[in-house]
Amino acid sequence: MKAAPFAYVRPGTVEDTVVELELEGAKVLAGGQSLVPVLAMRLGRPSSLVDLSAVPELTKLSRDNGSLRVGAMVRQRQVQYDDLARAVPLLGLALPWVGHREIRSRGTVCGSIAHADPSAELPAIASCLGATMTLRSTRGSRQVSAGDFFTGAMSTVIEPDELLTEVSFPVASPDEGFGFGEFARRHGDFALAGVAVRVRTTGETVTANITCFGVADRPASADVSTHLRAALDVTGPEPDEADLRRALAAGPAEEIAAAVVDTVGDAHASPGYRRQLVAGLLSRQLSRAFVKSRRRESGVR
Amino acid sequence: MNLPTAQSRTASSDTVEVNLSVNGSSVSMSLPARVTLSDALRDHLGLTGTHVGCEHGICGMCTVLVDGEAARACLLFAVQLDGAEVTTVEGLGRQDDLHPLQESFGRHHALQCGFCTPGFLMSSYDLLSHEPEITREDLPSELSGVLCRCTGYRNIIDAVDDVAENFRGGLPAPGNCGSRTLVGRTPAGSTGTASTDTTEDVDPTHGQGHPERINLPTGEPTIAIDLTSALTSSPADVARVMGDVRLLARCLPGAELTDVLGDDWYLGRAQVALGPVRLSFQGMAHVLEQSPERIAINAQGKDTGGGSAQARIVMVAEPSASGTSLHAEASVYLTGRIAGFGRSLAGDVSRRMFEDFARAIDQAAAGVEPDAAAAPPSGFTLLAAAVGGRIRARYQRVRVAARRRFGRSGGD
Repeated sequence: MKAAPFAYVRPGTVEDTVVELELEGAKVLAGGQSLVPVLAMRLGRPSSLVDLSAVPELTKLSRDNGSLRVGAMVRQRQVQYDDLARAVPLLGLALPWVGHREIRSRGTVCGSIAHADPSAELPAIASCLGATMTLRSTRGSRQVSAGDFFTGAMSTVIEPDELLTEVSFPVASPDEGFGFGEFARRHGDFALAGVAVRVRTTGETVTANITCFGVADRPASADVSTHLRAALDVTGPEPDEADLRRALAAGPAEEIAAAVVDTVGDAHASPGYRRQLVAGLLSRQLSRAFVKSRRRESGVR
Repeated sequence: MNLPTAQSRTASSDTVEVNLSVNGSSVSMSLPARVTLSDALRDHLGLTGTHVGCEHGICGMCTVLVDGEAARACLLFAVQLDGAEVTTVEGLGRQDDLHPLQESFGRHHALQCGFCTPGFLMSSYDLLSHEPEITREDLPSELSGVLCRCTGYRNIIDAVDDVAENFRGGLPAPGNCGSRTLVGRTPAGSTGTASTDTTEDVDPTHGQGHPERINLPTGEPTIAIDLTSALTSSPADVARVMGDVRLLARCLPGAELTDVLGDDWYLGRAQVALGPVRLSFQGMAHVLEQSPERIAINAQGKDTGGGSAQARIVMVAEPSASGTSLHAEASVYLTGRIAGFGRSLAGDVSRRMFEDFARAIDQAAAGVEPDAAAAPPSGFTLLAAAVGGRIRARYQRVRVAARRRFGRSGGD
């Protein structure tokens, strides 16, 4: 359980960092909470690690132009407690579920997204909100939206010589409501299944999109506006949360689950069980998010 | 929290320098990049209170504080922590002054085998110091980063809840962090070295000569000895022993003098055996004051298994009705694995050791050669090591000569 030897470098700037990443077999080390176990089990043997911790620019958490910008070295725990991050409520809902506090004190938001574990919370949040990733290399800089970013289990469009310098999350608007839920066998384990939900209520218009995780090889997103409206047709336009949950559970949620769950299952949960989990979680979180968005829209908090 | 300084590319076969603070002491180590913080603490600093379970971030045994927040030491490479402040369970409290969490764990029987306890203590310290309003019902999920296979968690929840209830206004800071000097070890097979500026130059295995002085840590000693023995010998006879370092040294059990450096500096080593405990010390002592009735010594030693000790000993002989009254005062600072050993046993053992020492001085004063070997060696014979007997040094020379003569067979 000791990592194989690797060369080590701790550049002081992003420019130096991307130069180091040009070396064959170099791997980025941010918080290391996903990478170090991989190294310890020798599932990975990168020839060198490029530690980001000395780059001041990457520790920045800032808000501008309707976005929350999270630098590559911003720890999950910092985001969890920083007032700035309240502008993105879904992060606040999801972060307590990311590992344990001991993990979040070191783990980074960008690191989790770059690692792209299909059962992880933060890639799902990025997908649900349509976050934008900024990638840097010596060849230049590019931005990739979350919908195009994840390409498979632990796979993204990041090239070996590229660095994910920042993820930009859109700040919530007042007419939006959010929900997040997951089911894991123990708190802190990777989820068997989980959902992130965003609902927008503008006057009579209700839209909803979701991202499920733990159910496919990457975050599974869907526009579920029609499903939510179908449930609202049953309950009437101003249901209480419990009524809407029941209406969703009576059909629409199962339909969504059948569409997004795409896994062969594993020792812990079959695809059928995961579909059930997703349907249950979606019923709860969609109804919660709807009620919140409606309250926000009408100025009640 | 400080950002580390930039570090140029270091080949996998080379070591990287890392400077950090551990329990309030500045530590400088040169380590291969792949050495985890948990291994650095245990193998290079001798701080074995941080336990290692799964070594891949599941069990939480190795939880320590990094810049005040709990983190898993097995998921950090030590080199990442340049400039960081690390607090381990050794820094949390002292045997004679436990942290409220430690006290509560004991009172609620929140441990059985104790293997997870350092992890739980550091995790719950982090929790309560950041969320003093935590409710009991949230404790199970908030403490879920550490596994326990003995208690069923209920008593752990009780212990943490008790402390939370009693310290809503703020949890006391770790009580054993100070400028205690850490002495690293470099056991066979070790891939790095550890040192601090105060110990580097007194390491008896490196170079010749002696440092200007032995710096004792500030703060409370691990063990304080204050013992008065009644000797039957006359003050004049006792003074003869007190004035003769070599004779005095022969009164100390279990040690051998390896070098006399001059200027009142001595090198030595000692084997300690106490039940299953086997310690092997190398040490150095500096006689600061010496008169017929008073001797003051500073000593420092290193256990090859990964611990260190520093001590100041003052002995004063005064005339009494029945002969001589010998007063011994010692402040002993232990670090590393011997600290755990020392805190549980050394109080009693060292007291007996000083009693034996006094008895041997009484014998020597009466003109009888002290039989150091007969006395049980104790955790403090590192002090003896430093002022150890000339006889043993002579014996060693004979042994070395014999080995030269008869080749390397036989060993020792």
